[in-house]
Amino acid sequence: MIDKHSAETGPYPHLAFVVARPLVSSFFLLLQQGVMLRSRVGCSVEAFLRQELKASPGTIEKIQSIVLDGKPVDDIGTAVLHNGSALALSAAMPGLVGATLRRGGAYSSFRSAITYHEPGTACMPGEGWVRIKIFNLLMAELGPDLLRKGVLLRSADLLGFLAGRAREFQQGCSVTLNSRSIDVGMLDGNAGLGKADQVFLSVSSGPAAA
Amino acid sequence: MDKILRIDVGAEGGPKATAVPVGEYAGLGGRALTSAIVLKEVPPLCHPLGGENKLVIAPGLLSGTAGAQTGRISVGCKSPLTGGIKESNSGGQPSQVLAKLGYGAIVLEGRPKGDDLYKIFINKDGVKITKDNSLKMLPNYDVVEKMKKEYGDKICCISIGPAGEMKMGAATIAFTDMELRPTRHAGRGGVGAVMGSKNIKVIVLDATGMPVRAPKDPDKFQDANKRFVDGLKKHPVTGQGLPAYGTNILTNILNEVGGYPTYNFRQGRFDGAAKISGETQADTETKRGANPTHGCHRGCVIQCSGTYNDKDGHYLTKQPEYETVWAHGGNCGISDLDKIAMMDFLDDNYGIDTIEMGATIAVAMEAGLAPFGDADAAIKMIHEVGKGTDRGRILGNGAGMTGKAFGVERVPVVKNQAMPAYDPRAVQGIGVTYATSPMGADHTAGYAVTANVLKVGGDVNALKPEGQVELSRNLQIATAAIDSTGMCLFIAFAVLDQPDTFQALLDMLNSFYGLNLTGDSVTELGKKILKMERDFNTRAGFTPQHDRLPSYFKTEKFAPHNVTFAVKDEELDKVFNW
Repeated sequence: MIDKHSAETGPYPHLAFVVARPLVSSFFLLLQQGVMLRSRVGCSVEAFLRQELKASPGTIEKIQSIVLDGKPVDDIGTAVLHNGSALALSAAMPGLVGATLRRGGAYSSFRSAITYHEPGTACMPGEGWVRIKIFNLLMAELGPDLLRKGVLLRSADLLGFLAGRAREFQQGCSVTLNSRSIDVGMLDGNAGLGKADQVFLSVSSGPAAA
Repeated sequence: MDKILRIDVGAEGGPKATAVPVGEYAGLGGRALTSAIVLKEVPPLCHPLGGENKLVIAPGLLSGTAGAQTGRISVGCKSPLTGGIKESNSGGQPSQVLAKLGYGAIVLEGRPKGDDLYKIFINKDGVKITKDNSLKMLPNYDVVEKMKKEYGDKICCISIGPAGEMKMGAATIAFTDMELRPTRHAGRGGVGAVMGSKNIKVIVLDATGMPVRAPKDPDKFQDANKRFVDGLKKHPVTGQGLPAYGTNILTNILNEVGGYPTYNFRQGRFDGAAKISGETQADTETKRGANPTHGCHRGCVIQCSGTYNDKDGHYLTKQPEYETVWAHGGNCGISDLDKIAMMDFLDDNYGIDTIEMGATIAVAMEAGLAPFGDADAAIKMIHEVGKGTDRGRILGNGAGMTGKAFGVERVPVVKNQAMPAYDPRAVQGIGVTYATSPMGADHTAGYAVTANVLKVGGDVNALKPEGQVELSRNLQIATAAIDSTGMCLFIAFAVLDQPDTFQALLDMLNSFYGLNLTGDSVTELGKKILKMERDFNTRAGFTPQHDRLPSYFKTEKFAPHNVTFAVKDEELDKVFNW
């Protein structure tokens, strides 16, 4: 569990990428592994999607499978996010089981043993951490804004992702660590993160990367 | 498709081919035809590898037409793996080509007189059967290369690898794709062993000079096909998700809900899932210059397949399917996508079912033959199957045989066929289908359109406890019918959600054959097929006790949800009450 803190990046090193627009999608794979987001909690999943992820009604419609704390959600208006909740979002899935996992779908009874039910414990609105995973087609829908806003993730996950990608980022990329420029070549090593377990990552596209 | 090609492999002087009218089987295609022939002509108590068994290869009703997604082909026989009736189907080119050549089915029958191996060549001029012992024990890719040299590159092939020749219970029949690679397989139930028992190594098809099959009402057919294609393209699964990521798009979500069988069905989450997900796979393929969006046959608009290159950018195998990645990946604790792709290639080349093989390796790992996660040991096991070592002979006969040989209780099979990639404790409704399908544990047995479109059995209240049984029944009925059309089962997503797309499918059938089918007709066809299959199995000795999951699924709690399979036996026994 990540300690609560109030600052945007907290005590964690902040690695900021400014990249050419096509390179933003390279970071999407990190979203399937799960990243932490500082956000409102004590609100419904639907409110979180609208207000924290800035998801449009059209995007929410595309989010066909929602998994909260490992359980498929049927009603996004009543399922509530708590501090430390894990939320996974997916577009429509193939196969019978894919259809079974859709929210409110005709086959939801097939997985009734694991369906999410709100525990009923009070959750006061406030700030907290939500672990979010974004899969498949939703990466491109929700990923750019989320990455621009910044997410917290395990340093090991980020370094594993960056390993061998320095060449990919040589062109059209600038990187700062805690607001100081670093050489892109450092990304193949420790990226200057030292022994930090977690790192705050932000990725945006812009002219600096041209 | 008004004739059936019967090949008597036991005829004097070598196999003899005779084309006969379809006769009493008129109007049937795909699974409906294979199951009808097996029911009528194969003694249920025969030995699956004996002369009384028959291997039936049948394109679907719409195969060989200009209709989209019509390239599925069905293979039927008495299964050497389950001991019951089997229909195993595949994509690839042969369905379209066989239908264009005018054959509703090929039936291999009889008992070979010797050990000689044969190849069969079929084109517009007829059938030529030739002894070719140079093909003995060749893997599928080598067989196809030889056939290309001999017959040119306008052909397609139906072949078996060494596993089929060794008559293993996990042996497949390979069907070549658009690039003439043996990548599509009728995988389940050991159908390759039955082809091997007939001493037929490869059937080569060439439809050069044969036209596309003509509909009775071309204008209506064209219109229906257009509406059908539009429906597939506008649906988020068939129009976007599958083309972008293939079926392996399922890994992340199944893992997230704790329904991803890991370490031989011990738990529902795998730490390495993100490393082998469809998203990672598509990214890897793209970076290496492979193609993550590709069809397995001409006329496919969904394009859920692809190619997978090695680290040097050379073709390694087709894009492994979700079930393959799961079977060799999470189920064996392996998170190396390259090694999983290698296993996919080896399975295709030796002619082994990827689901059965992956499940078998996991059972072998449970037995202590190798630690979970040891990818090199898993690859070695597949080589042992392909080479036919003593251990390989056990492994090649599936998870059930391997569990018996090495004293493992936790063997995830129904009717001796390994379960696919969805744990029936987390998704209990699919457990109902695993348990009761005449085919053995099969994720595609209850897959297609259901009550909401067809009103099969009336409206189902899915919230009632018995709703899972009713839904499973309806899904199995609808799937059996779809399996008879030659349509790719993936159309189910669009048809399921979009009644107008289902109507377009009906209109395609009606305009092609001059029929007036309705949803009820489709339902009746599905019921008829299931009734035939259940009838065969009953006479083969199957009882309600065979319609059960292994008992440990009822007692062993499945993490992270700590659930057991809770559908009662008496409910399972109601599945086929209609």
